[in-house]
Order: sequence, then structure tokens, then C-alpha cells
Amino acid sequence: MAEQPVWTGGYELPVYPFVPPPELADGRPRRYRIVIVGGGLSGLTLACDLANRGVESVLLDEDDTIGVRGASSRGIVYAQKTLEVFAHLGTYPRIREKGVTWSVGKTFAGRDVVYSFDMDLGSASEQPPFINLQQFYVEWFLVDRIASLGRCDLRWKSRVTRVAQTPECVTVAVETPAGGYTLEAEWLIDATGVNSAIRDGFGLETHASRSADRWCITDVRFKERFPVERWTWVEAPFNDDRAVWQHLMGDDVWRLDYQMDPDCDPEYVSRRDVAEARLRAHLGHRDFDLVWVGPYAYRDHLLDEFRHGRVFFVGDAAHVVSPFGARGGNSGIQDAYNLGWKLALVTKRQAPERLLDTYSAERQPAAAENLRVTARTTRFLAPRSAAERTLRAAVLGLAREHAFGRSLVNTGRLSVANPYPDSPAVAGAGWSLPNVAITLPDGSRSTLAGLAQSVGTVFIGILYAPTGGHDVAGFAQLEALGLPFRFFVCGAGGIGDPEGKLKQVLHAGPDTFALIRPDLYLAALAPNARASEVEACLRKALCL
Amino acid sequence: MITDPNIPDPDGFYAALVAAHEGLTEAQSAELNARLVFLLANQVGSQAVLLDCVAAARKPFAPE
Repeated sequence: MAEQPVWTGGYELPVYPFVPPPELADGRPRRYRIVIVGGGLSGLTLACDLANRGVESVLLDEDDTIGVRGASSRGIVYAQKTLEVFAHLGTYPRIREKGVTWSVGKTFAGRDVVYSFDMDLGSASEQPPFINLQQFYVEWFLVDRIASLGRCDLRWKSRVTRVAQTPECVTVAVETPAGGYTLEAEWLIDATGVNSAIRDGFGLETHASRSADRWCITDVRFKERFPVERWTWVEAPFNDDRAVWQHLMGDDVWRLDYQMDPDCDPEYVSRRDVAEARLRAHLGHRDFDLVWVGPYAYRDHLLDEFRHGRVFFVGDAAHVVSPFGARGGNSGIQDAYNLGWKLALVTKRQAPERLLDTYSAERQPAAAENLRVTARTTRFLAPRSAAERTLRAAVLGLAREHAFGRSLVNTGRLSVANPYPDSPAVAGAGWSLPNVAITLPDGSRSTLAGLAQSVGTVFIGILYAPTGGHDVAGFAQLEALGLPFRFFVCGAGGIGDPEGKLKQVLHAGPDTFALIRPDLYLAALAPNARASEVEACLRKALCL
Repeated sequence: MITDPNIPDPDGFYAALVAAHEGLTEAQSAELNARLVFLLANQVGSQAVLLDCVAAARKPFAPE
């Protein structure tokens, strides 16, 4: 698929050819069910998820490659739910192979460790807590996967210039190297990122703000092996007692991210000789290769609603947070995985259109929570007054002496699968189930994501360890209602829980009934449920 | 939040606090107070009580 490669930031990226679309051949406008604009993490994840669910889409991207030209990598940390999504979509093996798996984080003040964690402890998932990888590789693997799945018309060099909507459809004007054309979409997904012209064209309020805090990324290769852990300094002696991040990515490239004086000149701090002087102070030698240097300040924004008529906003177009905690890219991927199955069921006429409203009802509060969490980290890392600096000094001092002090050190609370406790489509549950190991009814080893992949876009009902007093036949009959639902017993003749992890993540006792959504969130959890109650939960989850 | 007297020896506590600040610079005193706040907060262990105390402490000053 790729033509000659592009050289950017020391990496060779693929170039995808522009293929003139049928509209340009016959001038006839066409209407598509689903059109996605923007081929970043969230747009590509959605296109891949839809293709994997057998649903066709068109994806328009203004570039002809992945990543951002000349800007090296952006996101680097992919958290467990993201990795589970990619396990479902089929790109996980390549991410695991190319990326760097880690679970241990340490925070330093001066030379002292003032906070540490190991997220692998207590994790039930088949995927690790984190894998670090340059963002463009993640996008690259998605493009390849989409190409092998088919069903997505990936249109490169296609820039959207105008969007208008009626109650029936969205009209999209597209500019290409071979001329302009118009297409219609039943549903349009805006995945065009932070500066979305589609969003701004509708005049939607984003509540944007900008931080005074300044940082400078320095991606670098060097010989010695630091531990493959997330190291953060709140006060680094080699960076004027300001913060530093140290992370390994793919291709043995380290990401070193330095907090700068808020009044610094971004051009000066990113000069090659200045960056190299910083690296020498950090590494204690000059035996390294600079890959890329990029100064940045961060911003945040959040839409009030992620749906506007027939248009949905995903990823940075809908929400932007500071980078501490990896809650940007990971939440964009979660957006896509939340919306994908809903669009699939609605376009297959298996659920009413109001199911789509639950996307905003679930993901907008999740983004608001991410904004709250990252804003607190920002405040800890960049105190705004002498009083705040005093409070932080007290915390760092106490963290050296007492366990409780460590819990107050905040260099980023890493991305989690946000729960949806207030969703109108869940019944007293609403949290993501880790991708635990199970066995399928034929005895083969699999996972929850493997089970979901094998049954397609349906709700999965699991009756855990039935003791016999149960209406198993009644549950099985729910499959005959014509709803997207499949029923399994966990126990003899059904799926198996060889490691007891399904029991652990469901907090299940005998006769617990779990209703699992196609995005592997728990829609309902009921001990000793009756079939009629399960049917009510299923109808609620489908907005019927 | 408890607002009735609950410190067993109020004068003794006040004297110990004053003594702890003796000989410190203004910046050191500020940090000592901050350390004390966090140490006491961990003894309280109730989020609702802590937030009530923050609000009560803020009360004489201009609203946020």
C-alpha cells in the first residue's frame, strides 16, 4: 500500500497513495452510512472497530501518512484498556512486539524516591498495565489492519472544507489533488483533533484554557540501559530543580521531557546545542544521538456535548487535557470503542438511534473526570504561588519520611478505563472488565475479548457457576427475542474460568449473572437474577 | 467537623506549637505549618471532615 517513505524525526513513515474516489469519476454525490474525518488515533480506532464489526465506513484524512509531519511522536504511553481494545481489533501482537512493556513507576525529588508503584500487582488482564510506543506506529498498525479487514474506504489527501447538516444527513465538501466533490453522511464523526474546523464551524463552546507551564521534549538514543520504568522527577538537580520525565519508547529511543522556566524562549531551549547541554547534565556524558527536540505548552478544552445532531466528536476534537497521565490518546481510543458498537447496532437496525446519545452521556463525564485529574497533577507540578510551593515542599519532605506522604505526590494519575456509573444504559454496574483469560465452550483457551470477537456485536450474558436452582432455559430463551444477545453458562458445558480471574473481576459468587456490553463494560451484575430481570437490563442497555 | 472543645490540654498544645516555630525563618515556619496540616489531616482520615475544615479555615478571607 505504501509508496516511497517520508523521512521525519529520524523515522521512515509510509506514504499512502491518493486514489480518486468514484464521485470524481461520475460527478454523482453519494450517501454513506458513516463518514469519519481524521486519521489519528481515535478516527483510525473507530474505522478499525467498525470494520471488525462488519460495518462499512469512509475515512477522510488530509495527509498521506500517519503521525504529524516533522513532529515526531506525540502520545507514547498506551494503557491497559487501550491494549485490550487493540487485542480485540487484532493489532495488539504488533504493538507488544514493537513497544516497551512496563509497569513500574518511580518519582524522585532530588536523589530520593518519594513515590513508586507497580501496576502489574493485582492486574487480572491478559494485557500489561502499559506499553510505550511512538504514536505513529500505533496508527500505522491500525491502517494495516483496516486494509486487511476491508470495509473502510480510506481516502488520503482528502481535506474537508465545509460541513452542513439537515435532520436527514450531513453534507461534506472535500478537496483533493484531483479536485473537489461533495458527499453525504448519515452519521459524521469528527476526529480531526484539537483545532477541529468542523467543531468550530458549528460554533460550539470548548471552554478552552492555556497553561503557563512550558516543557521541552527531547527524544534521544544512547547506549546504557536505564531501567525500563517510568521515572519522573518533581525536582531534578540536573534541571534547575524543575521536573523531568524519563521513558523508553520503541526502537531504543528514550523520551526525556524537561520542564522549563515559564518565561523561557521556546526557540532557545530547543536549539540543538542547548538541548545537548541539558542531556549532558542529565546523562553525565555526550555519547548520544538526538532524534527530535520539541518545545510545548499545554492547553485544555472540553465540549459540553459530544453529539451535535448527526455529528459526533471523538478524541481531541471533543476534549484536550495536559499530557500528565496519558489521558489524551488513551481516552480518544476509549471514545472510539464506546461509539463503534453503538453505531454498528444502530446502522444494523438492532438498536434505536437514541442508543447513540449514550456515547456523549458516558464519554463526556469521563472526559470531565480526566480533565479534573490532570488539572490536579498540573497544579502539583507547576505551583502558582509561594504558598503552593510551600505546600508541595511539605509533601515532598513528608514523602521522604512517611508512607502517607507518598500518596500526596502527584506526577500523573495514569489513564484508566473510566467507569460510567451514571449512564442511562447501565443498571448498577458500568465498569470495564479486564480482558481475563477464559476457555470457550469447545475447551480452547481464549479471553473475554476473544469471546466477544467470536460472537460479534452482541451483549454477552454469563451465568456464573449455576447451582441448579436456576432458570437456565429462561436465560437461553432470551436469545430467541431477536435482540443482540448471547447467553453462556460459566461452568460445566459452557465457558470456563481456569484461573478464577473472571470470578475475581465480576466479584462473582454462585449464580451471579453478568451482562457484558460489546465494549466489554459490565451493563448489569445481579446475584440470583431471573430471566425477566435480565431482559429488562438488556432492553435498558439497548435503549429499547 | 468538631467545633466544641476536643483538645485535652489546649494551652499545652499551643505552647508546643509556638515552641516548634522558635528560631525558624518565615519560610521555614510556613513549611512547618504545612507539614503539620498534612500530618493532622492523615490523623483525621475523613474526607468530609477535612473539606469542612478547609472551608472553615478559609471563612474569614475573601471567597475563592
